[in-house]
This record gives sequence, C-alpha cells and structure tokens, in this order.
Amino acid sequence: METAVSIVTFRDIFQDEAGKKSKFTDEFRDLCARILLDKQDMSRLGLKDGQKVRVQSEMGAVIVAAKTSDDDPHPGLAFMTSSPWSNQLAGEDECMPGTGIAAKVSPSDESVTQISELLQRMRAQGIL
Amino acid sequence: MAICTGCSLLCEDIELTVKDGAISHVRNLCRKGHGHYQGLLTQRARPMIDGEEVALDQAIAKAAEVLHGSKAPLLCGWSNTTLEAQAAGMSIAKKLGASICDTSPPCLGTLMERIISGSAPTCTLDDVRNFADVSVFWGSDPSNSHPRHLSRFSYYPRGEKRQKSYEEERTCIAVDVRKSATATLCSNYYFRVQPGGDGEFIESILATLDGKIPKFGEKKRMIELGTILRKAEYGVIFPGPGMLYSLQNKLELFETLLAKLNEIATFKVVPMVERFNSRGYYQLLHGPGNSLAAAAKGCDAALVIGSDPLAELPLATARALARVPLIVIDPHRSLTVDAASVVIPSAISGMEAGGTALRTDGVKISFEPIIESDLPSDEQILARILEAI
Repeated sequence: METAVSIVTFRDIFQDEAGKKSKFTDEFRDLCARILLDKQDMSRLGLKDGQKVRVQSEMGAVIVAAKTSDDDPHPGLAFMTSSPWSNQLAGEDECMPGTGIAAKVSPSDESVTQISELLQRMRAQGIL
Repeated sequence: MAICTGCSLLCEDIELTVKDGAISHVRNLCRKGHGHYQGLLTQRARPMIDGEEVALDQAIAKAAEVLHGSKAPLLCGWSNTTLEAQAAGMSIAKKLGASICDTSPPCLGTLMERIISGSAPTCTLDDVRNFADVSVFWGSDPSNSHPRHLSRFSYYPRGEKRQKSYEEERTCIAVDVRKSATATLCSNYYFRVQPGGDGEFIESILATLDGKIPKFGEKKRMIELGTILRKAEYGVIFPGPGMLYSLQNKLELFETLLAKLNEIATFKVVPMVERFNSRGYYQLLHGPGNSLAAAAKGCDAALVIGSDPLAELPLATARALARVPLIVIDPHRSLTVDAASVVIPSAISGMEAGGTALRTDGVKISFEPIIESDLPSDEQILARILEAI
C-alpha cells in the first residue's frame, strides 16, 4: 500500500536548536526523521502517529516516522523539516523544487534511517 | 553585551556572565540562540588528517598542500563566518584561480544581487521597527527561522512612528504553502498558496491592484489583500526560501509586483537569509554568485568553511562534494567534518573570535570574543593557508 505525495520542506526551531547543539543525537534525528501527512493520507495508509514509513523519491529513500499534520486539509501534500533526511530525497538541482519533491510513502517495519547511514550513502555514491 | 551569531539577525543585546573562563548565565537568547551557545560545549572538532588526530599546524599545512596540488579547487560555504574570513577566502580563490561558492540556492543569489545593487528597494530592520505598518512574510516563517524578528523589528515593538504597534498600527500577512507558526499568528491574513503557485499569486495581486478580477485564489480575499497593500504607508516584504524556490528563475514577476506596489505606496524588500553572514558574502562578491552544483561536479578538491554542505544540500550536490578530498574548517563535528580528509578546528565566531558581519538587512555588526580560546579564528587559519600556498 502506498500513496504519492509532494513533499515541501520547512524550518523548525526545535530541530534548529537541536542541530546547533549536535547533529549526532537522537533528539536531532527524531526531529528530522519525520513526515507530516494529511489526516486522509494517514488513514488511507492505515497509519497511526509515530509509525514508520518508507519515503521513496527518484533520488533515494529514507525511513521516517509519520505524523498527522495539524494544518488545514492538504491531501497529497506532505511536509518534512529541511534536514539531511529530506535532502536525501531532493533532486539534481541546488534549489528544492518549487512544486515539492515527488515521492511515494508506504508503511514500513524498518527502523528509522540513522545519520551515519546517510553519510555512508553519500560517500559510497560519491566514490562511484 | 554580546551578540549572537545563531542567525542573520545578529542580536546585539545578549547579556552574559563569564565566570572562570566559561559562560555561567545568559539572558535574551531565543531558543535557536540557546542551541548556538550550547554549541560551545558540544562535539567540538579536532584537527585530523585522513581520520587520524594530528597537531593543528600539521592540519593547516596539509590543507595548503592539498589546495596547492589541486587543478580545480573549490572554496565553498562562507555564510557562517566573518567578513574578514570571507575576504581572506576571496584572496585565496584569486591566488589559486579557485571557484568560490556559498551553499545558498542560486535563486537567493539573484535576489541578493538585486537588493545590493539597489535595483530592488530595501530598508534596514530598524526602519521596519520605526515605520512599517504592513509586513508580508512570503515563504518565510520568522517564528522558526529568525525567532526574534517579530519582537525586535516587524510586529511587536513600538517604533518611532508606530507607537500603537501590533495592537492597532501593524498588520502582518503570511503567504505560505503551509500554515506555519508565523501564518498562525497572522490569523485572517494568512494566504495559502499551492506549491509552485507563487507566480500565479503575484499575478492575482497585480490584477487586484489594477482593479481587475483576479484569475487565481479566492476573489474576495485577494481583493481584501490588494486593499491592504494599496493602503500601506510603509510596507515591507520578507521573501523566504518558500517564495524563492517557487519562483526559481521567474524573479522578475516579484520585481514587477514591487514596482507596481511602489507606484501606489512605499514598499521595501528585506531578505530573510538564514546564516549569520550570508549577506556579507554577497556584498563582498558583487554579484549573484556561481552555481555550487556545477562547481562541485567540476572540482578535484574542496575547502569548506562556515557550512555543513553534506547535511544541508540536496543529495546530488552533496554526493559530488563527497567524492573529492575535503578540507573542512569548522568549530564543530558535522557530517562534512566526518567525511573530510583534513579537519581544522576553529574558534566560534561571535563567542571565541571577534570580527564583523552584515545583518540580513546589510547593517554591519562588529563583535569581540567573549571568552578565550586556544583555537585560531577562521580568518587566522585562512591567512596561514594563503601564506603557505
């Protein structure tokens, strides 16, 4: 089961605070590795707050926690904080795409992607 | 009083007590600034060459050696460092024939070039506090990105001509894809745009200002917005990444809007750059800057300073950087530090090192070190590299 979304990134002061202290903490990971989905998309995927999802774009995939957005209804539109996790999904351009990052979200049993894995992927792909 | 280099507002009213060489009490920091100051205590970088800890002098010498031996060096970052360090970096770029780039998106560079060259009308944040009656946060969310923006400048303070301030005299408008914390504060004056829909939104405002029926958006609300903008005595637009990503290379639409608004009222634009001295970099550069994506793909070694590009950039550019030897000058451990061939730890600008920087509105702010450090400043490290290459 999966749903297509367009992901728009945003700034979060709590995540910023945590990142300024250190990007290698569980606190920073938990504030980055999450996706805010519309209530309708959450129920379509049978998700409850905190359950893990696989977010797959043409560039790559990350496992993050899903959370119901408290914004007005926005089915098909998802939000992630601007972070190393959302950057793994972004395309070739330096700018985030204005229309958001096209991705597919599906429930997952895997654990949340760790920052060390993100770095390993960048370096492995970089060497190639 | 100390200053905070946690964001581009460079708040100058930080009260602190230093006891036995360490900060014991701090007042007036926002949450983000608090995290920045906490950074004094957490995960400082150590001098390294290929994963082995070395003496600082060895790391600096190795950095010079790698840069000197490079056929296509890239010097990137620069947003979180002082004007003095940026100037030293530009001298190194000139001497080596290296590319120099910051890590901001190119669309920001274009806007900054327009503002700095004077083709887009601008003002200082002190003017905003004293005169602004209409503030438009467009694709920006200062409550999260520049936490004291609203309290120091754009909404709450009582300025020279705005003694009744937010209660009666100031109107805040948010234009955003999501209902951010700032958009929530703006309440009825929050206008939702669809991702990539900022161009259409501008066309709708232009139509209402011309007395025409807008093609996009809720007509009644767009006409209401047009009326507020038309009646503004001193309006200021704060464009953030949301607007810039959406408009990309159609910035002229925004310029058309600014020109139209200034036929009717006074409207300025003040950028919302995030890092503490992004503005300084563009001011020294005298241009919109180069594409980091292209430069990263074409380089064979890179010096990174005042930035963590592997954490901050889209994967393709981060990956291009990760394939070459990286020399990183940074006070802290970061993703880029972990991937670097050479790590040179530096003093934290604004806390352990002095210097000058330009606030997001272009006002120059000078600062002195507030605590002692054995580590050299970014400027001192770059001066030594310049001497050695």
